[in-house]
Amino acid sequence: MGMVLLAALTLALAVFALTQRRLLWGVIGVGAHSLALAGVYLFLAAPDVALTQAAVGFGLVTFIYLLALRRTGKLTVAAVETPHLLHQENERVAGLEWEILSRFGNQLHRDVEVMWVPRAEIPALLRAGDADIGAGALFPREGEALLLSRPILPTRIVTVRCGPGPVGAVAGDRGQDFLPPGSTLYEDHAALAHALRRGEVGGAVADLLHVRQWVLSGEVRPRETTDVEEAAFRLAVAPTEEDVLRALDAFLAELEETGELAQLVRRYMG
Amino acid sequence: MKALAAVALVGLMVLLALGVSGVFPRPAVPSGEDIAAEWGAKNVVAAIILGVRLWDTLFEILVYAMTMVGVKLGLRLLRWERPLPPVAETPLLRRSADLLLGPIVVFALYVAVSGHLGPGGGFPAGAILGTALLLLALAKGVERLSAEIHEPTLEWAEYGAIAAVLAVAGALLLLGRRGSAYLIAANLLIALEVGIGAWVVLHRFASSRGEV
Repeated sequence: MGMVLLAALTLALAVFALTQRRLLWGVIGVGAHSLALAGVYLFLAAPDVALTQAAVGFGLVTFIYLLALRRTGKLTVAAVETPHLLHQENERVAGLEWEILSRFGNQLHRDVEVMWVPRAEIPALLRAGDADIGAGALFPREGEALLLSRPILPTRIVTVRCGPGPVGAVAGDRGQDFLPPGSTLYEDHAALAHALRRGEVGGAVADLLHVRQWVLSGEVRPRETTDVEEAAFRLAVAPTEEDVLRALDAFLAELEETGELAQLVRRYMG
Repeated sequence: MKALAAVALVGLMVLLALGVSGVFPRPAVPSGEDIAAEWGAKNVVAAIILGVRLWDTLFEILVYAMTMVGVKLGLRLLRWERPLPPVAETPLLRRSADLLLGPIVVFALYVAVSGHLGPGGGFPAGAILGTALLLLALAKGVERLSAEIHEPTLEWAEYGAIAAVLAVAGALLLLGRRGSAYLIAANLLIALEVGIGAWVVLHRFASSRGEV
């Protein structure tokens, strides 16, 4: 009787392990399944086998899976803070791209981890394999060999003029490609806006999303804006992660088809 | 083709029937207790693994050692190795690893030493040792632990354990001596070999493209 119960428990735990959405719970299920199996062996008068099953199946294998999960179970996102798109809000991450990324991670059964970096460092991180996805910035720049997702949000690159003087841009940003030689580069958009306000530079090349933010917050009062290029915010994917790109594009296409993407854009862009 | 399959099937059935019918004399199998007593053990399994079937066990150990060396050399030749990123320390995991490590190692030693008296033996003891090392690896990070336990020295200890097992077993096979002292020594050496081997292989896989 006890054996039948244990055997049934083994089956139930196997089903539990197979149906978990979070990989960690799946691993715990496999471990518990091994332990129940060891119990079955014990009932079958094979204590030696039971001991080995418990040590290998419950101990060793569970630990190996945990180590593997720690290494590969995460989707590392190298990101730049951009208002509405991806930004920190009371120690939490929010924004349109974050919403998409966290849903995508949920679909892939991978936890999403964001590391905030300057824009110029993202390509190197992606190429080195230290990050899987780049987000929060305009991709690509000229000469950046990155995989790109479908467009998420259309935007425009503009030149804003506030006064006389050289034009600045964010280092590594798409705007840098349109700078005349001898222009100044800044680490991020906040530094660029700061320089613009203090008159260090007379103008800036940036995307409309940032320019709108500057104007709305009263940080920058543009005298004149000229369009430079139509562009779109996309996610960049590490060159080695073609599978991730394929899954991401399929996911984005589905969001577009169901109209959810348009809803999300409305919610986050106002 | 069908005819051949039919002939093979019929032949198999006939062989099975002959085997069951008792036409061929069967070898007399001594009882488990007798085997155990003959080899100085109480646990029949230990007496069989380290006694009657010693050759099988020795070659199993050799296969295990070859696998380990193969994984190591193969991954080194393919130049896949890349250092793992440092792991963020979590106090809970760290404390529980500190608390659990001692009991786990003691239990592994107990399982190895008492393998000839009850359930246990070198293989499960080695697996438990490997688990203890993995627990530490989870708490501290693989690379740090590898440096702390002097991995190259450990690898030589493992080769030493394999050589010692082969020497002890070979001497036993040649001299025909039996007894529980030999069983305890063999179980301990096997535990050492399996435990270190599990760690080494895992470490190689973990630092190779992150795919364990």
